[in-house]
Amino acid sequence: MSMSKLVGLLSAAAIMMALGTSAFAQQKTVKIGAVFPLTGQAASAGVHAKAAIEVALDIINNAHPELGNFPLAKNAGLAGLGGAKLEVVFADNQGSPATGQNQALRLITEEKVVALTGAYQSGITLTTSAISEKYGIPFVNGESVAANLTERGFKWFFRTTPIATDFAKVYYDFLTEMKASGAKTDHIALVHDTTEYGASVAATITSAFKEKGIAIAQDVAYTTNATDVQSQVLQLKEKKPDVVIMISYTSDAILFAKTMQSLDYKPPMLLADDAGYSDPSFLKAVGKISIGAFNRSSWSVGAPGSATAIIAKLYKDKSGDEMDDTAAREMQGFFVLADAIDRAGSTESAKIQAALKATDMKPEQLMMGYKGIKFDDKGQNILASGLIIQLQDGENYVAVFPKANAEKAPVMPYKGW
Amino acid sequence: MRRYVWLLIALALVIAYPWVFSTPFQQRLGALVLLYAIAASAWNIIGGYAGQVSVGHVVFFGCGAYAAMGAYAHYGLSPLVGIPAGFAASVAIAAVIGVPTLRLAGHYFSMATIAVAELARLIVTNTDYLGAAVGLSGPTVPRNVFDLSFISALPYYYLFLIVLAITLVITWWMARSRMGFYLRAIKDSERAARSLGAPASRTKLHAYMLSAGLTSVAGALYAMMFGFVDPESGLGILISVKILIMAALGGAGLLFGPLVGAAILVPLEEISNAWLGGKGAGLTFVVYGAIIMLIARFQPGGILALVNRLLSKRKGAPHAP
Amino acid sequence: MSFVLVQVIVGGLLLGAVYALFSSGLTLVWGMMNVVNFAHGDFVMVGMYVAYVVYTLLGGGPLVGAPLATLLLATLGIVVYFGLIRDIMKGPMLAQILGTFGLALLLRYSVFWWFGANFLSLPENLVGGTFDIGGIRIQASRLLAGVVALLVTLGLHLLLTRTTLGSRMLAVAEDSTAAQLMGIRPDTMQAIAWAIAAGATGLAGALIATFFYVVPTVGETLGIVAFVTVSLGGFGSVPGALVAGLLIGVIESLSGYLIGAVYKDMVVYALFLGFLWFRPQGLMGKS
Repeated sequence: MSMSKLVGLLSAAAIMMALGTSAFAQQKTVKIGAVFPLTGQAASAGVHAKAAIEVALDIINNAHPELGNFPLAKNAGLAGLGGAKLEVVFADNQGSPATGQNQALRLITEEKVVALTGAYQSGITLTTSAISEKYGIPFVNGESVAANLTERGFKWFFRTTPIATDFAKVYYDFLTEMKASGAKTDHIALVHDTTEYGASVAATITSAFKEKGIAIAQDVAYTTNATDVQSQVLQLKEKKPDVVIMISYTSDAILFAKTMQSLDYKPPMLLADDAGYSDPSFLKAVGKISIGAFNRSSWSVGAPGSATAIIAKLYKDKSGDEMDDTAAREMQGFFVLADAIDRAGSTESAKIQAALKATDMKPEQLMMGYKGIKFDDKGQNILASGLIIQLQDGENYVAVFPKANAEKAPVMPYKGW
Repeated sequence: MRRYVWLLIALALVIAYPWVFSTPFQQRLGALVLLYAIAASAWNIIGGYAGQVSVGHVVFFGCGAYAAMGAYAHYGLSPLVGIPAGFAASVAIAAVIGVPTLRLAGHYFSMATIAVAELARLIVTNTDYLGAAVGLSGPTVPRNVFDLSFISALPYYYLFLIVLAITLVITWWMARSRMGFYLRAIKDSERAARSLGAPASRTKLHAYMLSAGLTSVAGALYAMMFGFVDPESGLGILISVKILIMAALGGAGLLFGPLVGAAILVPLEEISNAWLGGKGAGLTFVVYGAIIMLIARFQPGGILALVNRLLSKRKGAPHAP
Repeated sequence: MSFVLVQVIVGGLLLGAVYALFSSGLTLVWGMMNVVNFAHGDFVMVGMYVAYVVYTLLGGGPLVGAPLATLLLATLGIVVYFGLIRDIMKGPMLAQILGTFGLALLLRYSVFWWFGANFLSLPENLVGGTFDIGGIRIQASRLLAGVVALLVTLGLHLLLTRTTLGSRMLAVAEDSTAAQLMGIRPDTMQAIAWAIAAGATGLAGALIATFFYVVPTVGETLGIVAFVTVSLGGFGSVPGALVAGLLIGVIESLSGYLIGAVYKDMVVYALFLGFLWFRPQGLMGKS
C-alpha cells in the first residue's frame, strides 16, 4: 500500500468519524421509562399499553405528515431538542407493587430515564410514583383512576385520565337525557367487583347520584376473577332494574355476558364502565351477544382520514387488535409527556416538570375526547371527560353521547343477542 | 473453631456488600435478599425444623404489614410502632388458628393454611378500616427518621441485616434447645415422638407462634420499605409460596438455608425481569420456572444440603443428618 | 321453594360437577402418590388451549377437542412423570411444591409466549345452546360437562375398585416395596396413574373451554378451587371429589344468591375449615 493511499484512507476515516459524531450529537436520544403489567393476571392490558406506546414512538420519531397538525407528528424526533429521538425502556411490574417500585428504581438509576409513565394498576402506580417523587423525576400517568393518587401532595406526578367523579357526571348527564327522551331510568343497579377499581368507582357513582337525589336501588358486588356469576345475574333478573351499570374487568365481563345469555336475562339498558367492556378481547369473545350495550369511553375512532383514525390503523397494524380506551388513554398520557419534554427543550427534570405544569392542550391537539389537558396543583387534569359509546352492531362501538361528539343516535332497549 | 472463621468471613462479606455493589439498584437488591431471608428464616422454624408445611404464612406477613401501615394511616404514628403490635397480633392469631389446624396431618395442614390465608385476604378486601382493596399507604414524605422512609437502600440493608441476625440467633438457640430436639423428633415421626413423651401439640404450637411473630416483622419491614400494602401484595397466596420456595430451595431445616435460597431467588427474579421483562412475552417466568423446577428435580433437599454433603464427603466425615 | 331458588340450585349443581371434573385428576395423584401438584390448574389451562386450537384451526367442537386434549395431556402427564415427578417424589413435600410450582410457571408462560395475553373464547353455541325445562334454564355445554364429570368419576372409581390394573395401582400406593416384591412395577403403575390423571384434567379443560374464557393465567383461578375440592373430599377419593365439588358448587350458588357474591368464597373457606375440625381426613378420605 502506498503512502498516499494510506493517508487518503486515514483522512476518509477521520472525516467519517467526525461526521459520525456530529450526526450522533444531533441524533441524541431521550430515554423514558414505562412500567406495565407485562405478565400476571393483568398482562393483557399491559401488553396493549406497550403496543400503544410503541405506536406513539413511531409517530414522534418518524415524520407523519398525514396526521396534520397533531403534536410531534409532522417531523422526525422532538423539534424542541434539535430532532432528538425518544427511546422507551419497558419494564414489567408483574402485578406487584414491590416489583413495580424496584423496576422504577432500576429505570431511574441504571437506565437514566428522564421521566416515567405507567403503571396501570393504581396500587402499583402509587408505589412506582413514590420512587420517582423521591428522585425528582416526572411521572405522567394516563390510565390509573384511584382518587388517592393525586391526593398525596406530590410535585412530580401528573395524571391525564378522567377519574371516577368525572365518570359519575357523564353517567348522570347521559341518564338524564335518556330519561327526557322517554327511557325509564328510575331503578338503577350497580354491578361491580371489589377491586380498588370496582369498589371506588361504585362508591363514587353511588354518592354522586345520591347528591342529585337518585338512590341506587341494587348493589351487586362480587370478587374478581369469579368462576361463576349465575347468582348475581339471577339477583338482577329477579329485581328487574331499568338500568344496569357494569363495572368489571375483562374476565368477569365475558362471564357475565355468557351467563346473561344462558339465563336469558336482558336489562332494558346496560351501561358499562369501560375496563373489560372496552377490551377488544371482550368484543371478539362476546360482542355478538352484547349488542346494544352502552359503554363509557374517551376514545372514538372518528371519521376516516382523521388523525384518530390513522392512529387507530397504526395501532391495529402493530398489535393486531382494535384500539381500546385504556390503551388510548395510556397513549395520550405518553403524548402529553413527550410534548412537555419537547416544550422544555431539555432533559432536565425541573424543566420538564415546569413544562408539564404549564401544559395547556386544546381538544384538537388530542387523540382523546377530553376537553383539553390542564393540570391543577395536585397534578390532575381538570379538563378530562368522557363520552358514551354503544355497541350497535356487536363488533365496534360508535359514539352516541354527548350530542356534539355523537356519530349515531342511541338505540334502546338493550338487544343482547 | 474453623466453622466460626468461615462464619466471620461470610459476615464480613455481607457487611461489605453494599460498598462493593454500590449502585442504588444493587443495594436495593441486597436489602431485598435480606428481607426475604428474614421471612423465609421465620417460616423455616415451623416449615423446616418442625416439618409442618404452612402455605398460609402470608397471614402473618400481612398482619405485620397492615400493623405498620395502619399505625401511620390511622394514628399518624411511626410505622415502627406497628412492629410490636403486628408481632403480638400475629402470635395471637397463630395461637387461634394453630390449635385446630396443627392437629391436621401433612397435606391437610397445608391446605387448611391456604384456606385461612385466602379467607383473611377476602375479609381484608372487604374491610374499610384496613383500606379494603385500595390498601394502606405509608408516609409519602418522611417526617423524621422514625418514618423509615429513605431514598437510599443502605439504611434498609443494615436494618434488615440486624433483624436477620436476630432471627437466625433465635432459630439457632431454639434448634439447640429442648424445643429443637422435640421438633426434630416430631418431624421424623410424630407418633414416635409422642410415645417417647414429647409434648408434640404444645411444641408445634409454640414453634408456630414464634414463626408467626417473626414473619410479621418481615411484613412490617416490607411495608415500610415500599410504603404501601394492599390485599394482593400483603395477603396474596403467591407471597406464601415465594417465602416457602426460598426456604425449600436453599435448604429447609438448615439455619442458613433460607438465606441461601433468598440470595439465589431474589436476584434471579429481579435480574431475569430486568433482562427479559420489558419484552412483554412472559419469558421471565419461563426461565424462572424452568430453573426452580430443575433445582427441585436434581437437588430436592435444597442447595445447602448439597454443599453440606460435599463438604462432609471431602472431610471424609460420616453423612451429616 | 321459590322458582329462582330452584334455578340457583340447579346452576350450583352444574357448577359443582365442573369443579369435580377438574379435581378428579388432582385427587388421583395426590392420594396415590402423596404428590402435591401445584401445576394442576395449568394442566386444565393447557387442555382449554387445545380445545381452542382445535376449534380455530380445524373448526372442530368438543367432540374432536376433548379426545385430543385427553390424549395430549395424558402424554404430557407421562413426560412430566418421568422427567420430574419420579425424582421429586423421593424428596420431601417441599421439593414437590418447588418442582410443580416451577412447572406451573413454565407451562403458564410458555402458553403466554405462544398465544399472547389476550382473553380468548369459543362461540356460545358450539354445544347446542340452552335448554328451557319448565322455565329452568340449563346450558347444554355445562350439562355435557356435568354428565362427563359423573362418567369420569364412575369410570375412575370402577377402574380402581374392579380391575386388576386398579388394584395394582392401589397396591403401589399402599406399599411400593411390597408391590414390587409381588412383581408389580411401581414406575409403570405410577406413570399410568399420571397419564390417567393428566388426561382427565385435559378432558376437563377442553369441556370447560366451551363456556368459560381462555387465558394463560386461568389456571390460577381454577387451581385453588381444585385444591379445596380435593381436600374437602379427602385426598385420593374420586367419589369424595365429586361429592365435595357438588357441595361447594351448591354452597357457592346459594350463598352468592342469598347473602351476596362477595361472601360466597368466604363461606366456602369458613365451612371447609370448620369441617376439617370435625373430620380431619376430609369427607371420604382414609384416616
